[in-house]
Amino acid sequence: MTNRLRNKLLRRLQFRESWVILFVVGFIMMNFPFLHIFNKPSTIFGYPLMFLYFFLGWAVSIFVIYLFTLAVSHTADKTPENPQQ
Amino acid sequence: MNSGFAHAAIISTLYTALIFLIAWYAHRRKETGRSIVDNPYVYSLSIAVYCTSWTFYGSVGKAATTGLDFLMIYVGPSLTAFSWFFLLRRIVRISKENNITSIADFISLRYGKSLWLGALVSLISILGIMPYIALQIRAVSTSFYLISGFQANRIHIPHNGTELTVPTGMLLALILSVFSIIFGARRLASSERHEGLIAAVAFESLVKLVSLLGVGIFVTYYLYDGFGDIFTRFHAARPELFEQLFTFGGARNDPDYIPSFTMLSMSMAAIMLLPRQFHVMVIENSDERHITKAMWLFPAYLFLINLFVMPIAMGGIMTTGSSSGADFFVISIPLLSGHGPIALLAFLGGLSAAAGMVMVESVAISTMLLNNIFMPVIVRFTPQPWFPYLLINLKRLGIFLVIFLGYFYYRMVGDTYMLVNMGLISFSAACQFLPAMLGGLYWKRGNKTGAITGILFGFLIWTYTLLLPSFSKSGWLGTDLLTKGPFGIGLLKPTELFGLSNMDLWSHSLFWSMLFNVSAYIFCSILLRQDEAEREQVQRFIGIYDLERAYDHPAETKRLSKPVTISQFVNLMAKFIGEADAHKAISSHLGNREIRPDGNVSEFELPNLKRFAEKTLAGSVGAAAAGAIVESFLSDMGSRMESVYDIFSSVRTSLDQSREALYVRLKASEIINRTLDLQIIMDDLLSLLLKEFRLDVAIIQLRNGNGTLAVKSYQGSNRRPINQNHWFMENAAYWDMAMLDRKPHFVNDTSQIEATINLEQTLAEGIVSCAYLPIFREGEPSLGVLSVFSKSITGIFTEEFISLLCSLAGQLAQAATIVREMEAKEHERNEKEQALLEKARVMRDMEIAQQIQISLLPDAAPETFGIDLAGRCISAAHVGGDYYDFFKRDSQTIDLLIADVSGHSVGAALIMAEVRTLLRAQVNSANSASAILQLLNSQLYDDLTRAELFITMFYAKYNSATGRLSFANAGHNRPMISREGEQLCIELDTEGLILGVKTSVVFEERSFELKSGDVLLFYTDGLTEARNDRDVLFGNERVCALLGTQRHLPAREIIESFYTAVRDFTASETFQDDISLVVLKIL
Repeated sequence: MTNRLRNKLLRRLQFRESWVILFVVGFIMMNFPFLHIFNKPSTIFGYPLMFLYFFLGWAVSIFVIYLFTLAVSHTADKTPENPQQ
Repeated sequence: MNSGFAHAAIISTLYTALIFLIAWYAHRRKETGRSIVDNPYVYSLSIAVYCTSWTFYGSVGKAATTGLDFLMIYVGPSLTAFSWFFLLRRIVRISKENNITSIADFISLRYGKSLWLGALVSLISILGIMPYIALQIRAVSTSFYLISGFQANRIHIPHNGTELTVPTGMLLALILSVFSIIFGARRLASSERHEGLIAAVAFESLVKLVSLLGVGIFVTYYLYDGFGDIFTRFHAARPELFEQLFTFGGARNDPDYIPSFTMLSMSMAAIMLLPRQFHVMVIENSDERHITKAMWLFPAYLFLINLFVMPIAMGGIMTTGSSSGADFFVISIPLLSGHGPIALLAFLGGLSAAAGMVMVESVAISTMLLNNIFMPVIVRFTPQPWFPYLLINLKRLGIFLVIFLGYFYYRMVGDTYMLVNMGLISFSAACQFLPAMLGGLYWKRGNKTGAITGILFGFLIWTYTLLLPSFSKSGWLGTDLLTKGPFGIGLLKPTELFGLSNMDLWSHSLFWSMLFNVSAYIFCSILLRQDEAEREQVQRFIGIYDLERAYDHPAETKRLSKPVTISQFVNLMAKFIGEADAHKAISSHLGNREIRPDGNVSEFELPNLKRFAEKTLAGSVGAAAAGAIVESFLSDMGSRMESVYDIFSSVRTSLDQSREALYVRLKASEIINRTLDLQIIMDDLLSLLLKEFRLDVAIIQLRNGNGTLAVKSYQGSNRRPINQNHWFMENAAYWDMAMLDRKPHFVNDTSQIEATINLEQTLAEGIVSCAYLPIFREGEPSLGVLSVFSKSITGIFTEEFISLLCSLAGQLAQAATIVREMEAKEHERNEKEQALLEKARVMRDMEIAQQIQISLLPDAAPETFGIDLAGRCISAAHVGGDYYDFFKRDSQTIDLLIADVSGHSVGAALIMAEVRTLLRAQVNSANSASAILQLLNSQLYDDLTRAELFITMFYAKYNSATGRLSFANAGHNRPMISREGEQLCIELDTEGLILGVKTSVVFEERSFELKSGDVLLFYTDGLTEARNDRDVLFGNERVCALLGTQRHLPAREIIESFYTAVRDFTASETFQDDISLVVLKIL
C-alpha cells in the first residue's frame, strides 16, 4: 500500500511540469502576500512565527527536491535507456 | 607584535599548508586516475563556494540589523536548485560539447562566438566582482585584527634598521593571488578541471560549515539554553528590536534596508551567473549525474549554515548591547566571553570562506580575461613557439589583476557599506547576464546585437546607479553627484534616476538596469536578424534537447574552399597549447576515422576537423578567440569556410533524406524500369540529373567489349564531336581512378586543383566542379563511369549528393547488366540459329552429293550372258569413299572393280569420282587388270598424296566364254568364292600395294577358272569389320558361311541378305563404315 503510494508519488514527480510548478510555488511563497501572512511579531512556543515559517518551509522544500531526485533515479532505474524523461 | 598576532599568523600558516596538502593530494589522485573529487558530495561542497565571508560574517551582521531577510540570499539559490534539473544540466551539456571555459565564453558562443560580447561580459565580471573581492579582503583583515587584538591595519616588519610597513590587506591579497595561481593557473587548458582547486574549495566549505555550526552551537547551547531560551530572552530584553528583526518591512527607514524581493531575485540569478558559480557548477562538473544529488545537498548545506545565524545575531546584540559591529559577532562573541579557541575556529572558518571564494573567482575571471580580452589581440599576431608561455603568464597576471582590483576597491570604499550590501553590488552586476543567458537558452530569436546592447545598457546603468554612488559615498568622488545630479540635472541623479525616488539603492539600480537590459535585448533581437554563425549556435543551444539525434550528427553545410592538411592543423594547435597536447588531441580525434592514403581526411571530414581544432583551442583560449584564430589561419592558407549550395533545400524527412533526393530516386527507378533500351535509360537519367540539380554536363561512359571506355550518352551543354581532343578527355585521370577503386571522385572547386592534374580545357569550358562516379554492381568490376559537371556552383558535391549520385550509378549498373545479359542471350540464340541453318545447308549439299555419288555407281549391272551380277553400296555417312563399277568390253568380257578410298569424307568421295573418271578414260586403252591398276596408281599418286588419302582396289576381268577371271589387287580385301560342295571359301589372293603409296608399282596379275555355280563376293572392309556391341568383328568366317548358305539366291538377294545379316549382327540400322558389295554368280 505505502509502496504503491510511493510509486505513484514518484511518478507524478517525474514530470517536468511538476518541477516548474513547485519552482513557481516556492517563488510565490517567498514573496508578498504570502510573507504578509506570517509577517507578525507573534511567537509560537517562544519561536518567532516568521522564523518558523522560513526554516520549516525551507526544510520542506529541500525534502521535496530530495523526493524529486529520488523520482529521477527511480525512472533511471526503470528505463535506463531514457534517463532524461 | 603580541602573542595574539603570532597565534593567528601561525594558525593561518598551518591551515594554509593543510589546504595546500589537500589540493596536492587531490591532484596526485587525479593523475593516478582515482579522483577524490569525482563525486556528488565534493561537487555540492564546491558549489557552496557561494557562501563566502559574506555568509560567514555578513549574514550575522545583516540578521542583527534588518532581521530575517538575510535569508533571502540563501532561499533564492535553494529555489533555483529546482531548475537545475533542466537548466544546469543543459548548460553543462552544452559547455562540455564546446569546451566552454567561462560564462563569458558561454554567452559569446551562443551569440555566434562574438568577440565583443565575450570581452564585454569579461569586463563586467572584472568590474562587477571588485566589491565582492573587496568584501572578502575586508572581512579577513578585520577578523584578523579582531583575533590578533591588533588594531592598526598595517604590519610593521623590521628591515635593515628601518621598519617596512605592509598593509595587512595587501599582504592578504598577495597571499591569495599566489594561492590562486598555484591552484588555478598551473596549466593553460582552462576547460580542464582543476581537481586540486576543487578539493581545496570543498574542504574549505566543510571547514566554514563546521566552524559556523560550532560557533552557533557554542552561542545557542553554551551561552544560552537552546533556541527557545535565546528567543525568549531576546524578546524580553529588546521587544521592539525583536519585532523589527522577525518581521519584514520593520526596518524600512534604515538606509541599509533592501526589500526581500530584490534580494531574492538577485540571489536566484547570482547562483547561476556569478563567474565562480558558473566555474564550479559547469566547468568543474565531472559528471552530469552529480547535479541531481547536488540539487538537495546544496540547499541542505545552505540551510545548515544559516540555522544558527539568527541566534548568533541575537546573542551578539545581547552580549555587546548593540548591533554595531554585528558583521563580526561570530568572532567577537567568543572573544568577549573569553573563549579564544572558539574565536580562532571562527576565524579559520571566515578565512576559508574568503580564500575559497577569491581563488575560484580570480581563476574564473582571469580565464575570461585571457580568453576574451587578451586573446583577441594576440590572435592578430602570427603564432609563435613561445605563445604557450605568454598565455599562461598572462593568465597569472589576470589573477593578480582581479585580486588587486578588489583590494583597491576595498581601499577606496573601505567600511562605508555593510558586508552584505557590498556583495549585493556584485550580485546586481551578475544579474546583467540573465536576459542574454536565459534568452540564449530558450529564445531562438535572441541575437548578438540584442545581447550586446542589453548587457551594455544594463552594465552602464549598474555602473552609474550602484558603482559610482559607492565611490562617492565613501568620499572618493565627492557627494555632489549624489545630491545634485550630474551638471545639476536632478533627473539624472544616480540614486534617483528619472525621478524614481524613495527606493533603496539596490532595487533602484536593479529595476533600471534590468528594464533597459531586457528591453534592449528583446527590441534588438526582434528588430534585427541573426547572422549565420549565430543561427548555427542557436541550433546547438536550443536544439540540444529537442533534436538530440540531429545534434549528434550535425549536418555539415559548410566546406573548406581549399583543403588543409591534418599536420597544418596540428601545427596551429601546437602553437597555442604545446606540441605534446596537440598531438594527443588530434590522435584521439582521428582515432577511428577514415584517413585517405595521402594522410588526409576526406573533404567531408575537413569541416569536422576544423571544428575540432576550434574546440580544442577553445579549451585553452575560449571559443571566441579560437574561432578567430582558426579563421585567420585559414585565410593565411588561402582557404575559407564557405556555404555549400544546398541542393536538398526542402525539409528533411525522418529518413534523413530530403524530399528532392527521394523524388530523384523514385524518378530514376521509373526511368530504369520503363524500358529495356539502355540508351533511352541513360539519356533520360542524365536529363533528370540536369533538370533536378544545377548540373550543366552529364556523361555516361561504358566499357566496350575490348575494355576501353566509350561515351554512351552525353547530355547538357559544351557538346562537341567526341574525340581525343574533346575537353572531357582531360578528365581521364579521374574516371580511370573511379573505374579502378570503384569510389566516387570529385572536385568541388576546379580552380583549387592540384598541379598534377591538368584541367585547363575543362576550366576554359567554365566548369567549376565535377564528380566521377563508377558504375558498378557490388563485388563486380566497374562497367563504366558517370561524370557530372557544374558550371555555376562550387562545392555542390556534398556527402549527401555524392551518395545519391552513387546510388543512381548503382541503379544504372544494375540496368546495364540486365540489358547486357539480355543482349548476350539474344546473340547466342542467333548464333545457334545460324549454325542450324548452316548445318541444314551442308546437309542438303551432302544429300545432293550423296545423290550424285549414288548416281556415279552403276545402278544395274550390264546384261551379260551366263552371269548374274549385282552391286550395291550403303554409305555410313552421306558420302563415302567406296566405289564399284562394271565395264562391259564386249559381249563376253566384263570388267568389274571394287575400291575403297580411305575415310568417308567428301574428299574421299571426290577422289572416288576422280577414280571413276580416270577409269572410264582408261578402260579402253589398257587391257590387263594389273596394267589398269598401275596406270591408275601413277595418275592418282599426286592427288592422293596431296589429299593424304589412299585407295585399295580390286580389279577383275571376266570372260564368260572361257570362264576365266583375271585379276589384280591393290591392297583390297580379298574377294571370296563359294563353290558348290565346298565348305570353305576360296579367296582370290594376289600381291599388290595400295594406290597412292609409291609412284610406280608393279601389280601381280593372276587368273582363276570359275565354274558354273560359283558365287563371287567382292566386298569392302566395312563388312568384315562391322562390330557388334560385344566388340566382336563380323569377320571372314561369318561372311563365308553366309555366302555358303545364301548362294542359291539371285545375286541381288544375296547382297540384301548380307546387309540384313550385318544389321542383325550389329543390332543397328546404320553402319559404322561404308559397306559395298558386288556379287558375281556364274550361272
